[in-house]
Amino acid sequence: MSVTDTHSGRQAMSEASPRIRVPYANLKRLLTVYVAVLLFVLYLPLGVVALLSFSETGSISFPMGEPTVRWYGEVATNNTLLASLGRSLLIGSLSATIATLIALLLGLAFRHDTKLKPYALGLILLPLLLPGVVGGAVLFVFFGLLGVKNGLWTTVLPAHIVYVLPFAFLTLSPRLKGFNRTIEEAAVDLGARPAMVFTRVVWPIVKPAVFATSLFAFTLSFDEFIRTLFVTGFDRTVPVLFWVTVTEQGAPYLPAMAVIIMLISIAASAVAFLLDSKKK
Amino acid sequence: MPAPRTPKPFPGIRPFGNPLLLMAPGLVFLLCIGLAPVILTVVLSFWRSSIFGTTPDFQFGNYARILAEPVYWQLLVHTLRVALVTTLACLVIGYPLAWFLSTRPNRTKVIWLIAIFVPFWISYVVRTFAWLPILGVNGLINSTLIRIGVIDAPLDWLLYTSGTTYLGLVYVYILFMTLPIYLSLQRLDPLVISAAADLGARPSSILRRVILPLTLPGVLSGSLMVFLLSISAYVTPRLLGGPSGVMFGTIVADQFLTSNNWAFGAALATSLMLVIILVLSLMAMIPPVRRAMLSN
Repeated sequence: MSVTDTHSGRQAMSEASPRIRVPYANLKRLLTVYVAVLLFVLYLPLGVVALLSFSETGSISFPMGEPTVRWYGEVATNNTLLASLGRSLLIGSLSATIATLIALLLGLAFRHDTKLKPYALGLILLPLLLPGVVGGAVLFVFFGLLGVKNGLWTTVLPAHIVYVLPFAFLTLSPRLKGFNRTIEEAAVDLGARPAMVFTRVVWPIVKPAVFATSLFAFTLSFDEFIRTLFVTGFDRTVPVLFWVTVTEQGAPYLPAMAVIIMLISIAASAVAFLLDSKKK
Repeated sequence: MPAPRTPKPFPGIRPFGNPLLLMAPGLVFLLCIGLAPVILTVVLSFWRSSIFGTTPDFQFGNYARILAEPVYWQLLVHTLRVALVTTLACLVIGYPLAWFLSTRPNRTKVIWLIAIFVPFWISYVVRTFAWLPILGVNGLINSTLIRIGVIDAPLDWLLYTSGTTYLGLVYVYILFMTLPIYLSLQRLDPLVISAAADLGARPSSILRRVILPLTLPGVLSGSLMVFLLSISAYVTPRLLGGPSGVMFGTIVADQFLTSNNWAFGAALATSLMLVIILVLSLMAMIPPVRRAMLSN
């Protein structure tokens, strides 16, 4: 369900009947102040990091001296950082594509009535219900016992797909069931084969949802940290590299790096959000 | 003469594709990478780890150690308390926010929603890190207070205390509480509230007897999310908690990532899963909670 779905006619109703009594009207101003404070607290840390990314001293403290863009230059020329960024973008796109594809097939299967559905659903939701640390630990054990060497393709990619898949399924499945099936039935009635029903009828309808889902999946994978920490080799993804840098050595370019990570996440999520709200 | 048969409504044309074939890739993948690792971990929790590696001899030593050493109990109680307090704090702070969002006119609603969402689009590792320059010894708060002369020496209790862990957890997870409550407030018909008010209910009793019960499903799913996320917290206590930042999740991770004690780590991870299942089943026994769960 979309977050902007309003209760049907809520606005219209309150406009049509002007003398509805609204309790808590006297608390309105207080609530606005409260939300303003909350928003300030939500954005304050992000703003401070953005500010410090221009700090001359290169430490995460005040005062910060003359503003400089030096740290952005360091990030842009640091090969370790760039390599990890490339890896995160690659793993994000791949795991998002694969998970969305699997979720699409599962969603199409879930339009049928089969006895398997409750079991399948349990299996799909299992990775979602496992707490992050446990999710990482079980994968560590699994790959460790099988003797799979930690690496980007051997362990990190499967870990990301299994993490992203339940979210992709939960986003996509309602869209596959939600649309008006009469058009599809008309196509079948007119003699369209299943392949044609999919390519000519279903796919055009669900395409925006599929793209929105894969972008959403990308952002989840791009930000995934705890499971990756358990199965990472030496080829680290961005969040893992950021964590290692924060906890082990620290670096003057950390705020600049944080700002770049923030911008990528926000951009990808914003596009997904727009895609998702457009199709209505 | 037989009664005229009423025609059955047309059930619709079957969706295309063979459901089994469509499910196959997903189910095979999830059985291998989703379910198998969990089973393997539970099995491994009965094995023995030593400096020579992990060997498969079935025994209860790992669990006996968890039960016998009080430090694990204390840690479990501490972790449950942190998760519970975080959940309650998110509920108290997030509910008015959800109410605010749901009462915005449609024109501005999207803007408000985006304003709340944007920080949560960012990795929680980065967002947790972002508190360091605010709370640190030379951080924003201390340097500001010193400059305006409120204090002479930096406050050292701002960072690396259990309070900082709570702050970080609430900051990182509050949207998971706000969003489901917002969604259930959206489904709440405002006329129900007006009706209660017209019939003379005081605002406090409208809240207690109309709004809260009707939004209980949202409260529950939000609480469940925040509880699950904070009971296995790793990043926030590590980064902000300092010496008090040891939680159950961090010692589970340590067994694998530093001490190389897989079998014991597996036993700790299994215990955490059991505790979560236990807490959820206990919650499901409370009648209103059970009703809300069933209706969901």
